[in-house]
Amino acid sequence: MKKFISKIYLALIIILLYAPILTLVVLSFNSSKTRAKWGGITGKWYVSLFHDDGIMNALYTTLVIALLSAVIATVIGTAAAIGISAYRQRTKSIFMGVTNIPMLNADIVTGISLMLLFIAFKFTLGFKTILLAHITFNIPYVILSVAPKLKQTNKSTYEAALDLGASPIYAFFKVVFPDILPGVISGFFLAITMSLDDFIITHFTKGPGVDTLSTKIYSEVRKGIKPEMYALSTIMFLTVFILLILINTNPKENKKTEHIINSKARKVSKLIMHRLIPATMVVVIIIGGFVYSKTNKTVDSKKQLIVYNWGEYIDPKVLTMFEKETGINVVYEEFETNEIMYPKISSGAISYDVVCPSDYMIQRMIKNNLLSKIDFDKVPNIKHIGSQYMKQSRQFDPTNEYSVPYCWGTVGILYNKKMVKEKVDSWNILWNKKYKDNILMQDSVRDSFAVALKSLGYSLNSADLDELNAAKNKLIKQKPLVQAYVIDQVRDKMIGNEAALGVIYSGEAIYTQKENPNLEYVIPKEGSNVWIDSWVIPKNAKHKENAEKFINFLCRPDIALLNFEYITYSTPNVDAAKLIKDPDIRNSKTAFPDPKDLDRCETFKYLGTKYDRIYNELWREVKSK
Amino acid sequence: MAKKLIDLVNISKSYGENLVLDDLNLYVKENEFITLLGPSGCGKTTLLRIIGGFESPNTGSVIFDGKDITNLAPNKRQLNTVFQNYGLFNHMSIAENIAFPLKIKKKSKSYIEDKVKYALKLVNLDGFETRTVDSLSGGQKQRIAIARGIVSEPKVLLLDEPLGALDLKLRQDMQYELIRLKNELGITFIYVTHDQEEALTMSDKIVVMNQGYIQQIGTPEDIYNEPQNAFVADFIGDSNIFPAVMVHDKLVKILGAEFECVDVGFGVNKPVDAVIRPEDIDLVPVGTGILDGVVTHIIFKGVHYEMEVTANGYKWLVHSTDMFPVGSEVGIYVKPFEIQIMKKPESEDEEAIVIDE
Amino acid sequence: MTNKHSLKKLLAGPYLVWAVAFIIIPLIMIMYYGLTTEKGHFTFANIATITTPDNLKALGLALLLSIISTLICLILAYPLGMILSNSNINSSSFMIILFILPMWMNFLLRTIAWQSLLEKNGVINSVLSLLHLPRFEMINTPGAIIVGMVYNFLPFMILPLYNVLSKIDKDVINAARDLGANGFQTFHRIILPLSVPGIISGITMVFVPSLTTFVISDILGGSKILLIGNVIDQEFVQSSNWHVGSGLSLILMIFILISMAMIAKYDKEGEGSAF
Repeated sequence: MKKFISKIYLALIIILLYAPILTLVVLSFNSSKTRAKWGGITGKWYVSLFHDDGIMNALYTTLVIALLSAVIATVIGTAAAIGISAYRQRTKSIFMGVTNIPMLNADIVTGISLMLLFIAFKFTLGFKTILLAHITFNIPYVILSVAPKLKQTNKSTYEAALDLGASPIYAFFKVVFPDILPGVISGFFLAITMSLDDFIITHFTKGPGVDTLSTKIYSEVRKGIKPEMYALSTIMFLTVFILLILINTNPKENKKTEHIINSKARKVSKLIMHRLIPATMVVVIIIGGFVYSKTNKTVDSKKQLIVYNWGEYIDPKVLTMFEKETGINVVYEEFETNEIMYPKISSGAISYDVVCPSDYMIQRMIKNNLLSKIDFDKVPNIKHIGSQYMKQSRQFDPTNEYSVPYCWGTVGILYNKKMVKEKVDSWNILWNKKYKDNILMQDSVRDSFAVALKSLGYSLNSADLDELNAAKNKLIKQKPLVQAYVIDQVRDKMIGNEAALGVIYSGEAIYTQKENPNLEYVIPKEGSNVWIDSWVIPKNAKHKENAEKFINFLCRPDIALLNFEYITYSTPNVDAAKLIKDPDIRNSKTAFPDPKDLDRCETFKYLGTKYDRIYNELWREVKSK
Repeated sequence: MAKKLIDLVNISKSYGENLVLDDLNLYVKENEFITLLGPSGCGKTTLLRIIGGFESPNTGSVIFDGKDITNLAPNKRQLNTVFQNYGLFNHMSIAENIAFPLKIKKKSKSYIEDKVKYALKLVNLDGFETRTVDSLSGGQKQRIAIARGIVSEPKVLLLDEPLGALDLKLRQDMQYELIRLKNELGITFIYVTHDQEEALTMSDKIVVMNQGYIQQIGTPEDIYNEPQNAFVADFIGDSNIFPAVMVHDKLVKILGAEFECVDVGFGVNKPVDAVIRPEDIDLVPVGTGILDGVVTHIIFKGVHYEMEVTANGYKWLVHSTDMFPVGSEVGIYVKPFEIQIMKKPESEDEEAIVIDE
Repeated sequence: MTNKHSLKKLLAGPYLVWAVAFIIIPLIMIMYYGLTTEKGHFTFANIATITTPDNLKALGLALLLSIISTLICLILAYPLGMILSNSNINSSSFMIILFILPMWMNFLLRTIAWQSLLEKNGVINSVLSLLHLPRFEMINTPGAIIVGMVYNFLPFMILPLYNVLSKIDKDVINAARDLGANGFQTFHRIILPLSVPGIISGITMVFVPSLTTFVISDILGGSKILLIGNVIDQEFVQSSNWHVGSGLSLILMIFILISMAMIAKYDKEGEGSAF
């Protein structure tokens, strides 16, 4: 009976642990691109996975970092464990105390402290800094696995070996090392596991163009994970699962049968199963990573371009075409919000060549002298950009010298016709108690305040404390009704009928309507935000000419069209807009709203550090209520 | 005559295909010091664990004081165990360790205090109350384990090779302590050991076991002087075991020489084993003994000399206080009652036992 | 002898250098940032930001949720540790691997998977509605965050508990039973006290990451619930106010120091270490 209960209990825990894993495996076979909808079984993600350079690159970076950091940490850690064991108790405890710091310290503190260190000592954030960070947090795991084994080893065996004439090194490798080997191996595997699983520390210590799977996934969380990611994780998980089963299903290697002589055949099969196959898999991975990084990385730095763009904000084909036509190697990096992008540029930790911020942020960057003027002689294709957009740009770039419009759009309400029967034309519907827990708001300061300010009839660039407080209170009042504050997840959630109403960017709205015909987009009558995202070149760009070539390339109508079709955000490229084949989209009010609707809309302006801070503080108040 | 306290009836126990105890019957009388003696793997510890309640037998039953306790949990049994590696609670002080069984029985504080003091005095460790387990030597741990075992006044104390980890001197001291304790407390002791000397020194009764079978039960004197088979003879002390032929009652032919003996009833011209203890062989001048031999090896052992005498093609082990240098010719004489005759093992199984040892 | 030892001691050299460079100095950097203004003047103002009601609330909520998660982990893991330590060695080492294995599925993906499970129209609710059972709404609540914490950090509780429990000498338990203790008494007086090092180590290993997480609260809390980790993350990443961020990190360090002290006190021998 007792045994039965404990078996049931074990099973329950295992189910708990593996339910999410199973979910992910199932999702990897979902033919629909969004997590929110089941579209039938497919294996296509397993194919397209291998054509996705971004993911494959991240995979190999992850594996190479995991292996390298584990190997280095194992060497340093094992040596350290042996060294520490020779010290007196007090010194030993100090050592172990230091060793405990990265284990116990919050990942966020470790990550940040390392980032501060790297920036202070002018390390360029990138592959090397991630590696250093991973080695740092891996060493303790090795030390803590080796130290207990070292304690168990019989001191006299080592001394006996010396006594019998072995040199200390020989004695160590022949006598001590085999004893601590299990500890070394488990330390090594722990290090690999921890390195693979780490997100937070990598998040803070990584640089442009380098992504591990974790950081790649995090940047995708907000806009919906690519299904290829599920496929890849499934492959990785199953690989390890099989590996571990091979290593561990050693049917009867217990003491009872130890002295029974194994038949030769069994020995051979054991060797193959437990050593050869795992070893081969590891070698394949290492060589694969090596070959892959070889083919990708060796580019001379002049032929390089570091792009910093919104997530999912360019057709990957365009990048390949650009690389082919110009021979310039593109390092592509994504950000989720303007606010996350800004400090990376202003700190100068990373020198991006071309960045795509929004209007108010461009204004801020110009004001803080972070941008360099674009040489428009090198960007002849600027002529394809509609003059009305250049005019609008002057709100944040008064001389039209710093920015080239890329995408534009509005912010409005996306609603589900099945769930909302009444007419939607005002922001105030977002305060209707009927829709409690069915409302999605934007997780961004300015966007959320814009909604509140506009609904109160104020400017969304308000710098009036009373108005701002009123908006804050209105947002606090709304909070119990809100299901979640999200960014690009609005898309998936609305498609999956998770919510009735959501604040969304017009470009996303077009995509959701394609996936779920019940969704409708409106620009509320109180007015809204019209925004422009434009390309700019930071002051510290190392490849300004390449950046200009890139901007010029993007302004070519055929390229702009490709991008429009991929990202579905309205394009300021009038010549590209003419080329749109589908009349529904060419005439879509969502993509290209009526001018009278636009008249009610405002563009965000940069309000200065003081008001930035005030907005942030008020937003924090809303969030923590 | 004391009554039967524990009665083991038809006990069998196997682990998988490995038969550890085979249909074993044994009883223990009240206030007896009984020792289970045998080589490792003979089943003695398993038997002890069955009595203690840590294992249950596949068949058979354990009767305690007239009641069947075969399936009773260990904590419900009126017997305590002293474990081989002591089983002391490291996280408790010495006093707490000893007080443990009393606290479980919810005895009063003052009673517990007195009892702990008394128990410590019994094992000659007065004043150790506040010491930690880690600070004790092996012998001290052993005494604490015993003190803890007896403090709640069980009817039986089971001891599983308790002196195994101690050095010789300490072991001898502890042997006397145990005998004294047993006499003072009037508790039945069931003692497991593989050390025949220990068994001979302490026990009222010895149970010699091998391969799951009881080989012989008897007083130390019985076991030593009259081993019932070659295994017992070989396991208890040093002995010379010869293949012999029983010519007729009271006459045995060993290696061609005829010896007078006292055994009867083995038949006429039957092959037997003859056992002669080394100290029972008298070395006499050549020609005056039953047969002659040459001293081929000699070691000084302190109390006596250990000599090897080759006679009629066999090496005889002899203990004697007289010294005969290597190469000297001697006569061998054995008094009739010093010769122990045993039946040849009948089954191959029993034969195997002898070879194993 | 001395010579041999000093030779051995040298082996710790590389680690010493590494630890100073990448553990000690970075911590000093955090202290520096935490205790200075942007102009480099000494101040306690950054640390004092913890006293604003919002930050206090974020810290309080983080403490509450991480304490609850830690307790749930302990309650779930303890019986598991007992079961595993009682099973035979071969099968238990396989089970241990089963508990570590999920870590090879990326941490973020695992957490997102919980989103899929817990959502309004998620897997669990779909199953419930198939069975005509009432739906349950957990996503974007503190409850969902607790689920995420328990799920992600449970192995860190299981491993040290299993380690200490399997090290307890079976004879010690037998001795307690033998001396009259029933199952509960044996657990309460013997097993529990002997497993304290593992409990402490497990508590720390679950409590600290739960206290400081910002990812789990982001993904499973719908960004509606602000924990202290989110505040620090925002200070660094969004407001780019490193000084305040470092100041708040220093507050977190206090809890880490407490954990280290606990470990030093209850687990001197390092018996409770997870690995």
